[in-house]
Amino acid sequence: MWPATAVAGKQVTTLEGLPARWATQRKLTPEQAQQTLHPVQQAWIDEQVPMCGFCQNGMMIKATELLESNASPSVQQITEAFMSGPSPHLCRCGTYSAILTAVQRAAAAMAKVG
Amino acid sequence: MASETRNVHGATLTRRQFVLTGGTLVVGAALLGREVLKGSPAAQVTGKNSLDARLTTSWFEIHADNTILMRTGKVDFGQSTAHTAYRQLVAEELSVPFEAITTVVMGDTDRTPDGGFSAGYLEYGGTNLKKAAAYTYQAMLDLAATTLNVDKTKLSVKDGVITGGGKSVSYGDLVRGQDLKLTIPVAGDLTSMFGLGVTGDARMRPVAQYSVVGKSFANAVTPAKVVAKELWVTDVRLPDMWHGRVVHPKTLGSTLVKAGAIDKAQFPNARVIVQGNLVGVVAPDEWEAIKAAQAVEASTTWTDWKGLPIQAQLHKWLRDQADWKSTPVVKGEKNHGSTADAFQGPSSLTASYQLPFMKHAPIGPTVAVGDVRPDGTVFVHTHNQNPQALRGQLAMMLGTSVDNVVVRIYAGPGHYGRSNGGNAGAEDEAVLLSKALGKPVRVQWMRGDDLMWSTQSPAAFSDIRVAWDAQGVVSAYQADHYMPAMQDDRLVGAVIAGLPTPPAPGVSKDPIASTSNSIQDPWLYGRVANVAESGFGTFQVGQQSSPLGVGLRDHSMRTPGQLQQNFPREVAFSEAAAAAGIDAIEFRLKQTDDARLIGALKAAREASGWETRTSPAPHAKATGTTPVTGQGVSVMLRSGTYWACVCQVSVVPATGKVAVARYTIAVDPGVVVNPMQLKRQIEGGALMGLSHALHEEMAFDQSGVTSRDWQTYPILTMAEVPEIKVVILSHPEVGSAGGGSEAANALAISAIAAAFFDATGRPARKLPLRPEYVQAMLTART
Repeated sequence: MWPATAVAGKQVTTLEGLPARWATQRKLTPEQAQQTLHPVQQAWIDEQVPMCGFCQNGMMIKATELLESNASPSVQQITEAFMSGPSPHLCRCGTYSAILTAVQRAAAAMAKVG
Repeated sequence: MASETRNVHGATLTRRQFVLTGGTLVVGAALLGREVLKGSPAAQVTGKNSLDARLTTSWFEIHADNTILMRTGKVDFGQSTAHTAYRQLVAEELSVPFEAITTVVMGDTDRTPDGGFSAGYLEYGGTNLKKAAAYTYQAMLDLAATTLNVDKTKLSVKDGVITGGGKSVSYGDLVRGQDLKLTIPVAGDLTSMFGLGVTGDARMRPVAQYSVVGKSFANAVTPAKVVAKELWVTDVRLPDMWHGRVVHPKTLGSTLVKAGAIDKAQFPNARVIVQGNLVGVVAPDEWEAIKAAQAVEASTTWTDWKGLPIQAQLHKWLRDQADWKSTPVVKGEKNHGSTADAFQGPSSLTASYQLPFMKHAPIGPTVAVGDVRPDGTVFVHTHNQNPQALRGQLAMMLGTSVDNVVVRIYAGPGHYGRSNGGNAGAEDEAVLLSKALGKPVRVQWMRGDDLMWSTQSPAAFSDIRVAWDAQGVVSAYQADHYMPAMQDDRLVGAVIAGLPTPPAPGVSKDPIASTSNSIQDPWLYGRVANVAESGFGTFQVGQQSSPLGVGLRDHSMRTPGQLQQNFPREVAFSEAAAAAGIDAIEFRLKQTDDARLIGALKAAREASGWETRTSPAPHAKATGTTPVTGQGVSVMLRSGTYWACVCQVSVVPATGKVAVARYTIAVDPGVVVNPMQLKRQIEGGALMGLSHALHEEMAFDQSGVTSRDWQTYPILTMAEVPEIKVVILSHPEVGSAGGGSEAANALAISAIAAAFFDATGRPARKLPLRPEYVQAMLTART
């Protein structure tokens, strides 16, 4: 978590912007982009990750950040990513194990597309 | 306009043919005046702003295009039941494809029929929907018999198409141009804890005919949450809405001396609103409201209060000081025999177990928008597990009719039981501030408010005795369970403001707002000759001495009450097995002839890599820096589902660090409705249980709760996730589907404590297993 002033002049991607980020990275046509979620989002749906879902925005952003720097993270690396920052990413509903699976699924999907 | 009325298995079907409006659907959601409801068997079916639960059209709309809309008063907090299992069960009863049910309307008090708490989803809301659907199905058959001119017994239905005598008609065609009113029997009280229930002899489909149940359908609302299309309760904004923060009293017993004033130079638009001991600060801008509330808090004066016991002495205080005499003792339904003689024998265990207060701890604090309108209607936008009960309580607080109150529900952070009697936290305060201001007001609690002013799962302790014979068969089990009242549903803002609320839990026959401590953990060991379980109840800690009437307010939380009773039973059974020199699973198998329990235990044993041996483990050690490992088992019967859980843990004695390596659970719910969603519910429950076992304990001092953030109320992190194995045992011959989203958390704490004992040779009779407590346990003289 950062104060808004700390990101002045920087590009910020929110959950809403993930599909566009992926479309730009993969040079998708507008038609393709229209029908394509970010692989992290798709993995979150395929693995049915969210329970209440309230923490999942941050979880998906963290997963995307991780996979952009490490295309094939180990379980330990995934865990370290979600434990990093001023506070660990917390989930009350206990979706951590589903997240671990979904990040690996997203990694595989991104590798396949790439 | 032709009209006819007929009786369909206890339900009344009337039909009028629309002359003028061809293409109209089954008419649903008619808002009815009170006069229509006279003579209803339900104690309270409200009129204005309510659906008539006696009309099936309030539950389902069958459209001419064969799509179906479904309504439930229950609120799905993410377990997915309303969007998966409910649709599957209704699809079975109506004989339509799962996909035909395109819309699920949930929770809103003016748009759903039944009310009641959102827990035990299959048992309560599921049964209502199944019955309403079964009545509807019979009516559709009846209509088709007339339309097709074929005897009803010769009709069959597949995918919403009724066929017979060489002819067929779809549901959509049957309802097109009709105004159908199917009246069904309902009973209950809409704004009570339980809401309304559909009654009568609905002909529900035998499980053997199921074809939709048992498949892993995905949760239809997940995509919206994943692509940021969901409207979260935090994002609700109304025109001309102001923001509010509440300056809660200094302690859980403080009354207001003088409210602080607003510095207009600093906060030009903010206002202070005072009602009783409730101090609110409102402003058009949220940041101004937050900063102004902090300034007002600093200059507001309160009386002092120190009426709570010292946390370190809580359980001693509960045992010695709390009033366990005023509340009648509840005896277990399965009590039999006489335990006294059995305890004369040589082999017995006597031990006490204790559990702390735990918070529901939603990831986001409670938030609500209150909108008290000039015409006297009150809209509340919130995230809540019992919207109709909230509605009833808000009407009571305001001294208005229930008809005038509407509660609308949005997605929000799950809080696992906190609001199943009506109050998530901020709703009543938002309403009071809106009423005073004359505009909609959004109140969001700060993190500290949410931990300090919400309810919590009550602390408890139990005295257990177990005796066994030479064969290791338990000859006697005695359990005295002690727990303060668990269901304080009062609107906390109303209490603080001094406005009407239901009574605080007291000595009462009311099964909900009572200090009674009932036996909540169904007895599982049928071969035990003598059983004596007793539940002792008392008042909430500090509530009676608090001049505010607040104190430590408790509320049911996931697997409520049963968690507090299963922990001592199952940990004691594992200790008894060790003392008897028998493997802990073998020991349990000796106590039962119940095939489902035996099946679950054996499945958990096989899947977990359980070592069949005596306990403690051969290498068990209570000292040293080398990790020691152990295994533990627990079992439970809850809401028709049998569970057996095995945990393998490691303990570093010198540091007190406990880690769970593997969590295996076998679940037999009878009918499995949706394997994928059941597995996800169980995994979530398992991790919440690890959180309870390793971390959770509400901190407090003599004035109030001192847990105020995630540092002072830590929960499980991803770094502590074990390997989780879920074994689902399908037994459709049972004929019903047991619950799935509770139990897994409670089983974890018992299995982990037993595994700790196995690893170290020292019993873990209290939680959480935080390093400092573990070190104390391991160094204590035994």
